Order: sequence, then structure tokens, then C-alpha cells
Amino acid sequence: MSTVCRHGKESRSLTHKNDHCVGCGICVDMCPTEAIRLGPVMPVARGLLEADLININQKECCLCGLCAASCPFDALEFNLNGKNSKELGNYPQWTHNANIDSETCIYCGRCETACPQDAIYLKRVLPTIDELVRGETDIDKDKCIYCGICEEMCPANAIEIEFNQINSNNPQVASNIKIDESKCIYCSICKRVCPESAIKIVCTTCMSQEDIIIPEIEGNIILDDKKCINCGWCQEICPVDAAQVIKPFEGEIFYVDDFECKGDSCHACADVCPCNAISMVDNRSVVNPVFCTLCGACAKACPQKGIVIKRSSMKLKNIKSKSWNDRLGGLLHQASQSK
Amino acid sequence: MPVVIDLEKCGKIAECPGEGLCIKICEQGALIEKEGEIVLVPDNCDDCDLCIQNCPNQAISKE
Repeated sequence: MSTVCRHGKESRSLTHKNDHCVGCGICVDMCPTEAIRLGPVMPVARGLLEADLININQKECCLCGLCAASCPFDALEFNLNGKNSKELGNYPQWTHNANIDSETCIYCGRCETACPQDAIYLKRVLPTIDELVRGETDIDKDKCIYCGICEEMCPANAIEIEFNQINSNNPQVASNIKIDESKCIYCSICKRVCPESAIKIVCTTCMSQEDIIIPEIEGNIILDDKKCINCGWCQEICPVDAAQVIKPFEGEIFYVDDFECKGDSCHACADVCPCNAISMVDNRSVVNPVFCTLCGACAKACPQKGIVIKRSSMKLKNIKSKSWNDRLGGLLHQASQSK
Repeated sequence: MPVVIDLEKCGKIAECPGEGLCIKICEQGALIEKEGEIVLVPDNCDDCDLCIQNCPNQAISKE
């Protein structure tokens, strides 16, 4: 986290929140005084270095706030007299967002696994096994020879052979057996495998269908807005359409025609992509536009300058002045390639 | 065409902010460490230019 701060007629401060920054370089492109430089984004992404993803030159920065207004990831905070410019009505506002509807969510957890920013937290309460199956068990201890075959084969780990150290000189010799009915699924593997026919298992699950209530899986799902980068993974992967993502930009990402992608020996684009949208296929970079936010981090990281980002619209609203409109409008239509 | 290291700009491994970042970045083994020095193995370079782009001293280029 770094801050530029000056006091005059009013106090202005600009703070870079590195943990929100994806190293896309949009601020670098927007800064009118070229005060922002991109840091070592690729080495940081590979874990080779620890450094801020951008560097702000304090002397060059004019504290205009354009960078904070343009950042779709809320990684730059611009304050006027201690108030965040986003809360002042006359500064631009991003309107992209993401939401997971907990009413619709079935707590399958696919989004939590897929989220490239670990922005989704899921906690679910599953039913117990004995709520779902019915049956009876019985072991004839006169017949049981405590061989442990049933214990070894039980797929539910419901059988426990006990070793009674008081009654036996050798603690390896078993002296009791138990079936834990909260774990038993009445599959009868133990019964079939028992060499002494000492186990009886009766499964009544099918007969008791009407008594077994289909449980509703309860849970909690939280999408952390601060971590979310609106990549769209959750929306795409959700089987019940509980996740809705509005991305910051619409447009396209493509490769230049004569692109000599170095594929597996470079893979800088895939490393820096905050959305997990790029992979190497047949030694070439391949982007899945469904998961791309068009942030442009890959285009800036590509040493061959082979990736082109073409944004057609953005969810940045409330741009009031013409000069800001001209400047921020530069995010659209221009092909954003590495400089 | 393999890269060229400007020895005046290069801080060597000891002075490099990334402690020999180019060596760590190059997965082709075209930039290796030998007795504390950065050594170029031209035959291994496949012109990905990743080292050129990421050298903190801007010491790597192509002629």
C-alpha cells in the first residue's frame, strides 16, 4: 500500500491498495502526467518477487484522481478532504457487479472452487447418513472370530474391532466388535465377506422411502465484493444460475495475425491473467473470453505484443467533465497493447 | 537471434533487485548461473523476449 498526499486549499490523497490490484495497467494508461509505472507484474505473479504491482511517482502525480476513477478493481482510492471520491456525487462510478442469490444457491461449491480470486466463501450443513438410510444390524459374538475382514472392507468405515488390553496379553488380538449405526449404509459387504456368517444386515431403505424425508441442504454463501474481479467464472459454472455477473467492459480480445506466440516457454499472459482465462494449448496462448474482464494485463505482459484488447463499452458512469470523458473514453475502441 | 546482456547495466546476481531475475524467468535454460555469474547459453534461447521485458536493470536487449 502506498499513498500520495498533499494539502492545499483542500487535502487530496491517493492510496494504492496492492491487494486489490491485478496489475492491468489501466491506471498507467489513464494517468495524464505519466506518474504511474507498472511494477514487475509477471515475476510477482510467478512468485519470484514481492513488489507492488504499480509504482506512483509522488513528484509527478498531480492528484487528479483519474486513475482511481478508471480502476475497475477498486485498487486506487482517491480522497478529497478525507472523503472517498466514490462517495462524492460528481465523480465517475463503476456500475459492474456480481451477486450470488442464496435463495437459488444449492451450495454445490463449484463457484467456490472455480473463483480465481478466492472471493467466495461457502459453508454448508449436510444431512447425516442415518437420516438417509434405514436398516438393522446384528453381530453374533459367539460366532465372530474377530478376524477384522469386515472392518477392512467396510466402505463406510462403520465397523470397529476393539482390542481389550485387560483381557488379553497380546493387544493385537481383538476381543470385541461394533457396528456404528450412524455410519452404516446397510450395504451388506460385511455380511457377505464374513467367513463365519456372524453378521446380519437388513436394509429397509427402499421399503421406508416414504418415511425418509428428502433433506434440504442448508448453507451460507458469501461473495466478497472487495476480492471479486467480476470475471464471470461463478456465473458460468453455476448449475442453477444463482450467480449474476456484470463485467466492467464489453468487447473482444484477440491475437494479432502474425503473432509468434512462444507458448510454453513464455506463458506470461496466463501467469498474469487475474481471471484464469488463459491457458496454453498446443504451445500457444488461448484465451476463453467468457472469463475475461478485458483488463488488458495479458496484453501488457506479452513480450511479443501479440494480444489485443478492444473494448466497446464500459460500466463507468457519471463522467461529468468533457476532459475526463475524453480521457476515460480512451479505454474504449483503442487497441490496448503493451507500450 | 539470442539476447545480449549489457554488462555495464547488469548488476549481476549480487546487485540485481530480483537476485538474478532473468535466470529465474528463463525456463529454457538460456540464462544460467555459473559461479555467481549470469551466463548466456545462446543455443537454448527461443526468442520469447521475456527476460528483455522483465530485466529490472533493462540490461537485456537484442542487437
